[in-house]
Amino acid sequence: MNWIGLWTMVRREIQRLARVPIQAVVAPLISALLFIFIFGFVVGGNIRKIDGYRYLEFVLPGVVMMNVIAASFLQTTSQIYFQRFQKSIEEILVAPLSYVEMIAGSLGIVILRSVFTALGIMLIGVVFGAVHMHSLPEFLFWVVFVSMIFGFLGIIVALWAKTFEQLNVLMVFFIQPLSMVGGVFNTVEMLPPWLRWLAYGNPLFYFINGLRHSMIGFSEGPAGFGVVFTLVLAAVLGGIVWRLYSIGWGLRE
Amino acid sequence: MTPALEISHLRKVYRGGTVAVEDVSLTIQPGDFFGFLGPNGAGKSTTIHCITGISNPSSGTIKIFGVDAVTDYRAARKLVGLSPQEFNVDPFATARNIVDWMGGYFGMPKALRKARTEMLIERFDLVPHANKPFRELSGGLKRRVILARAMVHDPQLLILDEPTAGVDVELRMQLWGYLQELNRDGKTILLTSHYLEEIERLCRNIAIVAKGRIIRNGPKEEFFTEPGGLERAYLAATGKAADHVAAGAA
Repeated sequence: MNWIGLWTMVRREIQRLARVPIQAVVAPLISALLFIFIFGFVVGGNIRKIDGYRYLEFVLPGVVMMNVIAASFLQTTSQIYFQRFQKSIEEILVAPLSYVEMIAGSLGIVILRSVFTALGIMLIGVVFGAVHMHSLPEFLFWVVFVSMIFGFLGIIVALWAKTFEQLNVLMVFFIQPLSMVGGVFNTVEMLPPWLRWLAYGNPLFYFINGLRHSMIGFSEGPAGFGVVFTLVLAAVLGGIVWRLYSIGWGLRE
Repeated sequence: MTPALEISHLRKVYRGGTVAVEDVSLTIQPGDFFGFLGPNGAGKSTTIHCITGISNPSSGTIKIFGVDAVTDYRAARKLVGLSPQEFNVDPFATARNIVDWMGGYFGMPKALRKARTEMLIERFDLVPHANKPFRELSGGLKRRVILARAMVHDPQLLILDEPTAGVDVELRMQLWGYLQELNRDGKTILLTSHYLEEIERLCRNIAIVAKGRIIRNGPKEEFFTEPGGLERAYLAATGKAADHVAAGAA
């Protein structure tokens, strides 16, 4: 394993992100602060408790997960696409790095960025007195594996995209709408029965529900299904990305 | 002796169907200073991309010091340093970081990487510019950074794709001196250039490629025993001799 090469990939991305702190750090925290303040504090003050928790405490895990998803996806799409655009991806291609190492280097920074984003939002949550931790290992499982899933998706989109416009397709048409209807702001019970499929048929519901369970112990999904689904999805997407790297799709001419 | 580079029937067809390299076979011995000549679009850069892993060969084999560049690509990559024709870097990164990161990708420990980076920065007169973003450097300085990056891991085979394009005479002379020094120390160098005098001055063996095939290949002396020297041989090999003569007559 080329550990130095791997660490260099992570180190380089940290330095790149340090050049764009507003985009990488401040923007998600401000967005989370507004969500927590408006939906959790202002509106939530008028909503009854859910399973004994204030609405703000119910909403916070969803806000964390929405930002983890966005941070992971944007990290790999911007990293890989810009490297392709500048051709600086060739620095990686000519180096003695295996495909697994190349992918792990990109995912390492994804996980770091996601954990950092999650911790930042949790700190805001502490200010509002809304942070609980039902199970830390469970919390880390959801943050790490969901980051991996959206990091992989970001890599696939970045390899496929030929224009900057195409980078946003998945985010605008799928990820953002699905996260909004994935139970961030409401329980499944709040939905009319004929609309509940919108939650159970939505993959993002299981991620939000899982993180919420790790924080406040409240869950509406079938026990264990979310974990198995997440592990299988991460493995399948990881396999696809490995295959794309090994044939050089979008990477090599 | 195991050749430094052995290419056998290399063919590269791009996804759109464009044949960039038709059939290239080439052997470069260790310690050689090899000139790879050809007009634009002849297949020089594509051949280099296949050697270094930027392109996937469609067929044929490439061996670097006996190591297969496709099936054992990690071992093969360690032996090669590439200075590409285009500036393929993050334009916002500093010169020092660009060189240091490449050493990192090649697995060099921090102390060794730092020593090599500083030595190359000094060697290429980059000290006052080392912490400036790449995009703020002049064309000549950018070229020096790219060369330093290619050499940071001390490769056995150095591939230089038009390294002196757009640089001033002073740097060109300085670079020639450094390349000759490296070659004397045992490094094998593959050089492409459109400056025939550069090839003439530095290289011991020369291959001319046109339309994706090697047209001529041999020791430099062979080209200079003919009337008109390398220029005439180059134009004849690439089919431009008649036009050249006609233009001269006009």
